[in-house]
Amino acid sequence: VPALAYDGTNCRAPGNCWEAKPGYPEKVEGSEYDPQHDPMELNKQQESIQGMEARNAQRLNHFKQTGEFIFDVSEIPASSA
Amino acid sequence: MKKFLNSTSAVTLAIALLAAGSVTAIANDRLVELAEDPANWVMTGRDYNAQNYSRSTEISKENVAQLKPAWSFSTGVLHGHEGTPLVVDGMMYIHSPFPNTTFALALDDPGKIVWQNKPQQDPTARAVACCDVVNRGLAYWPGDDETDPLIFRTQLDGLIVAMDAKTGETRWQMENSDIAVGSTLTIAPYVIKDQVIVGSSGAELGVRGYVTAYDVRSGEQKWRAYATGPDEDIRLAENFNEPNPHYGQFGLGLETWEGEAWKIGGGTNWGWYAYDPGEDLFYYGSGNPAPWNETMRPGDNKWTMAIWGRDPDDGMAKFAYQKTPHDEWDYAGVNVMMLSDQEDREGNMRKLLTHPDRNGIVYTLDRTNGDLVSADKIDDTVNWVTEVDMETGIPVRDPEFGTRMDHVGRDICPSAMGYHNQGHDSYDPERQSFFMGINHICMDWEPFMLPYRAGQFFVGATLNMYPGPKGDRQANLGLGQVKAYDAINNEFKWEVMERFAAWGGTLATAGGVMFYGTLDGFIKARDSDTGDLLWKFKLPSGAVGHPMSYEHDGRQYIAIYYGVGGWPGVGLVFDLNDPTAGLGAVGAFSELANYTQMGGGVMVFSLDGESVYTDDINTGEYEPTSLIRGDRDAAKKQPSDRNPS
Repeated sequence: VPALAYDGTNCRAPGNCWEAKPGYPEKVEGSEYDPQHDPMELNKQQESIQGMEARNAQRLNHFKQTGEFIFDVSEIPASSA
Repeated sequence: MKKFLNSTSAVTLAIALLAAGSVTAIANDRLVELAEDPANWVMTGRDYNAQNYSRSTEISKENVAQLKPAWSFSTGVLHGHEGTPLVVDGMMYIHSPFPNTTFALALDDPGKIVWQNKPQQDPTARAVACCDVVNRGLAYWPGDDETDPLIFRTQLDGLIVAMDAKTGETRWQMENSDIAVGSTLTIAPYVIKDQVIVGSSGAELGVRGYVTAYDVRSGEQKWRAYATGPDEDIRLAENFNEPNPHYGQFGLGLETWEGEAWKIGGGTNWGWYAYDPGEDLFYYGSGNPAPWNETMRPGDNKWTMAIWGRDPDDGMAKFAYQKTPHDEWDYAGVNVMMLSDQEDREGNMRKLLTHPDRNGIVYTLDRTNGDLVSADKIDDTVNWVTEVDMETGIPVRDPEFGTRMDHVGRDICPSAMGYHNQGHDSYDPERQSFFMGINHICMDWEPFMLPYRAGQFFVGATLNMYPGPKGDRQANLGLGQVKAYDAINNEFKWEVMERFAAWGGTLATAGGVMFYGTLDGFIKARDSDTGDLLWKFKLPSGAVGHPMSYEHDGRQYIAIYYGVGGWPGVGLVFDLNDPTAGLGAVGAFSELANYTQMGGGVMVFSLDGESVYTDDINTGEYEPTSLIRGDRDAAKKQPSDRNPS
């Protein structure tokens, strides 16, 4: 049975010691194990975080200006958002 | 390493540590002060050392058998009750699983709920929780001249909320995690200085992990640090890992991944924190990489599975040590961090951090620079690794117990549930013992290919889990252990087997007794020196949180949540039968339903069950107010006034 070599001790650089197991590809792209990730899907988390950070900034701004906290950003008056 | 203390006397040492604690406590000073008082339990782990150690001595190994329930409280919610209540300033703050209601009870009359804050959450948050709808606790900020004390809560739907500690009114709430992409919150918030730190969950849905700091007063985001990707996202200090360059330094958040796989690379932190005010660093662990299918993500996958030391002011990392490069077993490295100051074998005083990991190794690092001090197997049946090389810090893998596509890995120990999971353990500084609640579960594992779709599960492995070699694989019992560990001499002072995994963690006390709850529904007390069972009580349901202790009116109490759930309880909680369901936990815990059912609440114990209600049986009795009594008297005299014809 192959795949008995990788023991984690052969490092190409400090902190970089991964090796492909015997019979498995060095790179999965183009191989039978290619995950074929959709770039649109991969970017969704960062887009979501940017949206949350922007809404939080609106909440904070209104809170700092008025001392009143409004969570629903659609309810925040334009003047303080 | 400089020698700063010569005495080997534990008593002298304890006194010196106490003194050092109050001198070096640059912040949060008030929180450190409050934690010194045995009447309080102000944060997870009790104080910044996260030792779960109570200095109270009223309950001791001589009298612990007299422990009886003093009072109890039902949260009105089922599902796993993890964490432990906080006690501050005569009030107990209780949290619950989804919908994450918070309760405040006054210790002078705990029968009266002083306030409750019940959030409205989108119920779809439940659908993206990997491992029951648990929550690990609350945080407390003591207030200042302008702002009253605050209680902080995380919610499963991703919000971090600040509430007035006296009234329970919501002061602010911010979005930290988005359930639409599978990102939830179960971690307890953590207060350092005037910031509240919030972790993340969702590696089973491909969520890239991050930790965030918010201003306690306003909710303003101060910084956010990721576990994978570009160095500026990970927030690495200029001298990052300088004392240990062989751990790896710059560029590895990208270089140890193929392509853009790091964008869905996991590394969430949902465990526990510790903080050293002297070093001004806080410590935590990042979780597993995604997906579980290792073949889909070549590389060391840094910086998942790492122990971190970060500056709380700007979030910059001073050091990180990756425990499990290129994870193949879901050994999410988020477990408890316990700080201690101990003499090493050469007689040098060291500032240490001890961390029992999912991968079956208990790590002790120098918490000033990340130096590896010891890395011992939690149990001799760990087989994925032959040893951790102390020079290189590298775990030497046994290829026989790795996982890979088109192959069923068998008899791998520990299982994905780890030999240690989310339980918050304890450290007895007098005995220099770590009391660890341990799992004894192994597994078979077969990965499969699957696409990533934001908001959907991204696991890619089928598991069978069962008791380890020391358990009873025929009866499917013997899934846990409890041990007392010496990190300096690398030995176990005692160890005992448990029917089920000791999931919730432990409490150490100066009375020489250690406490823990069990999944089959007991709270137990053992002799800290010998491990002998001294007392137990049958709780309404299994315990997945850790016990705590506080004093009120000079009397020592022990409190613990009951309410089984969490990952080991998913079969029971969601009524699942397929042994591979619940990410493989259903099979391992098939016997659990024969010992417990769901519940939810707090049980509080004291010697002989004494409480405010036994002190004065009239405490909390209904008394008509003078106004009502006046009305009644008036009504008697002039009935016609009340019922005009």
